[in-house]
Amino acid sequence: MSLAWTIARKDLRQRLRDRSAIVLGFVAPLVIAGLMSFAFQGTEHFHFNLLVVDQDHGPVGAALMRGLSAAPIRDVLTVRSSTTDAAAAAVHARHAGAALVIPPNFSREAENGDSVSLRVLTSVDQELDGQVAQSIASSFAAQINADRLSVETALHSGAPAATTGTLVAKAEQLRLPEQVATESIGKHPLTAISYYAPGMAIFFVLFAVGFGSRSFFTERREGTLDRMTAAPISPIAILAGKALSVFVFATLSLATMAVVSSAVFGASWGPTPEAALICIAMALSVVSLTALVITLAHTERQAESMASIFVFGLALLGGNFVFVSAAPPVMRRLALLTPNGWALRGFTDLATSSGAGAAIEPIVAILGITLVLGAVAASLARRTVVQ
Amino acid sequence: MNVVAMAGVALRRLLRDRRALFFMLVLPVVVIIVIGATVSGFDKFRVGVVDNGRGSLAQGLMSEIQRSRGLEVSRYPDEAAMRVALRRSEVSAGIVIPADFDARLRTGASTAIPVLAEQANQAAQGAQTAIAAVIDQHATDVQAASFTASVTKTSFDIALRRAQQAGTSGGRVTATQQVVDSKSVVLPSGFSYSAPTMLVLFVFINSLALGATTIDNRRLGVYARALAAPIHARSIVIGEVAIAFALAVVQSAIIVTIGAAVFGVSWGSPPAAAALVVAWALVGAGAGMLTGTLFHTPQQASAIGAPLGIALGMLGGCMWPLALVGPTMRTIGHLTPQAWAVDAWTDLLSRGGSLADILQPLAILIAFAIALLTVAVTRLRHILVP
Repeated sequence: MSLAWTIARKDLRQRLRDRSAIVLGFVAPLVIAGLMSFAFQGTEHFHFNLLVVDQDHGPVGAALMRGLSAAPIRDVLTVRSSTTDAAAAAVHARHAGAALVIPPNFSREAENGDSVSLRVLTSVDQELDGQVAQSIASSFAAQINADRLSVETALHSGAPAATTGTLVAKAEQLRLPEQVATESIGKHPLTAISYYAPGMAIFFVLFAVGFGSRSFFTERREGTLDRMTAAPISPIAILAGKALSVFVFATLSLATMAVVSSAVFGASWGPTPEAALICIAMALSVVSLTALVITLAHTERQAESMASIFVFGLALLGGNFVFVSAAPPVMRRLALLTPNGWALRGFTDLATSSGAGAAIEPIVAILGITLVLGAVAASLARRTVVQ
Repeated sequence: MNVVAMAGVALRRLLRDRRALFFMLVLPVVVIIVIGATVSGFDKFRVGVVDNGRGSLAQGLMSEIQRSRGLEVSRYPDEAAMRVALRRSEVSAGIVIPADFDARLRTGASTAIPVLAEQANQAAQGAQTAIAAVIDQHATDVQAASFTASVTKTSFDIALRRAQQAGTSGGRVTATQQVVDSKSVVLPSGFSYSAPTMLVLFVFINSLALGATTIDNRRLGVYARALAAPIHARSIVIGEVAIAFALAVVQSAIIVTIGAAVFGVSWGSPPAAAALVVAWALVGAGAGMLTGTLFHTPQQASAIGAPLGIALGMLGGCMWPLALVGPTMRTIGHLTPQAWAVDAWTDLLSRGGSLADILQPLAILIAFAIALLTVAVTRLRHILVP
């Protein structure tokens, strides 16, 4: 063990002197997490200005304004009156998120049962504001339609035509009997920084596969590996030393990223013990990937190529670049064939407070993948070292 | 002639380099396939439903939700399972049809239908709008049936059937969206957004990665040997620029072709798209060559290249639309060529723009390319003829 640790310490010293490794393992993920944090600063709270253009000046407009000043809607928007041109210009210039236009004679035509339309002015760059405004207008239109349909159906079902006025007055008091009750999905929704901070940390830690495997072939080329095998050091101790250095480097890189992105950028990695265990499992999978590349490649150059292919292939499949949860089920299943896909699943669950047991499945899965990769590498390891 | 020979040498060396081949040919294909598979079906909102209701009204609502063209519905056995899917964003919103849904509505009482979603999320808001539209439609008929049953002697079920029949005829009040600054309703979402932004992101990253080849050529003395022959330094420099540019064009062509052929991406006006691809390839060639002259080892180039490419891509709107970020970040983003390329693609794909509409971003991209190529060529010439 002490021999392995000596080899690991020597490798780590070399690694930490290599500026490329420092950049990829520590600087790059932090810079990118910082960029993400700044990019999304101030976008977590949703509120916008809604302009209302009342060209109707009838009871419908008044009812709409009353609805807009009700408690739940009031929290997300500030309502102001405007004219059509001013409203369109304000939406275009992003001074307002959207505008509602009640056209002339809207109240009269609505009462007569004609087809009429509320207009929602939106901007391509303010999609969310437009959707909320559209939702408000559609709900308002649905209530008018329901009242009209109620009177119409009652008349068709035998209510005397003479009572139409009374029926209309009664129907106007009705509220749609099915109301959407929006509920938050929890106190901890998944934020962009909480997904991409682990995502980028894991992506860059995968580059350790390249460093680890390259250093092995460099040593073989320069003869240090031969000298080690000539000494009373078992091949297993040499591999253990190499593995240990990759493991320590990967763990340090992930831990640094977790601590700094949480403290400085407000990323949530979940409870410390569970997050730490996922990081350790991920670091172990990096070790087995490195071992696999070493056993599969024959030269430094081949190792480098294979490592690049593994890094980008795993990152793309596992969801480090694309938000894989939003992908179709087949892509989600493919992501769970990768250790980084499982790690991201684990961090997503931990960040959204899924409970203490949320980390167990990902950790077991990552360790399972690690063992399989490790077993393949181990069966070839002796041959490679002795070669 | 020497230029062609030098470009040929560079190409042959590249074709023998599996790593370079991977970056050049395989990665763009993998990227486009992964992105294609990930974001396909984005024209629908993914929603989850837990149907606790027992009765024809709950059944009716469920089938209306499933029939809705804007929704892709996944059913969950209970709320806990759906909350897990929501937390992971596998669905954007979740509907819970209550157990007493029928009982309450039939007695004339109203019922609240819980819709679970994250409130400040764009997809979740969109999904809620689509869900509300379906529920409102269902509620319209139920209100009419309930009202009719209360003012006439008609039973609820008969009144409901009449309301459903009457609902399809007659005038209706609607809400129509009118976009003030574009022909299309929204920015292209899903694949139409991802395909061009990933082209911008990965062609740039690949170009930076290929800068390692220039470093190898310097270290292995390829340039020194070429200069010992009757070949002018200018020929070497032009050959290198030509090959870097050609490779960026080939990569873009692969992404464009597969995107169009396999995933049905429309790349907008062909001359405008071609001009944009060429301008972006020039930017990539300039950046890649600059990397090749700035760093001393291929390891340094790859250590800096990937993070730099990703960081610039993030700033420039390749990972998320710049419309989502604050005004300061948008301004900073436009210091990168990526932002101008994404702006131009947005003009082409979202607003049906032509070559004339993207002249400004094109000019800025070409200015970036000229600046990068000038510095790179000057440095390379200095390296060749100290």
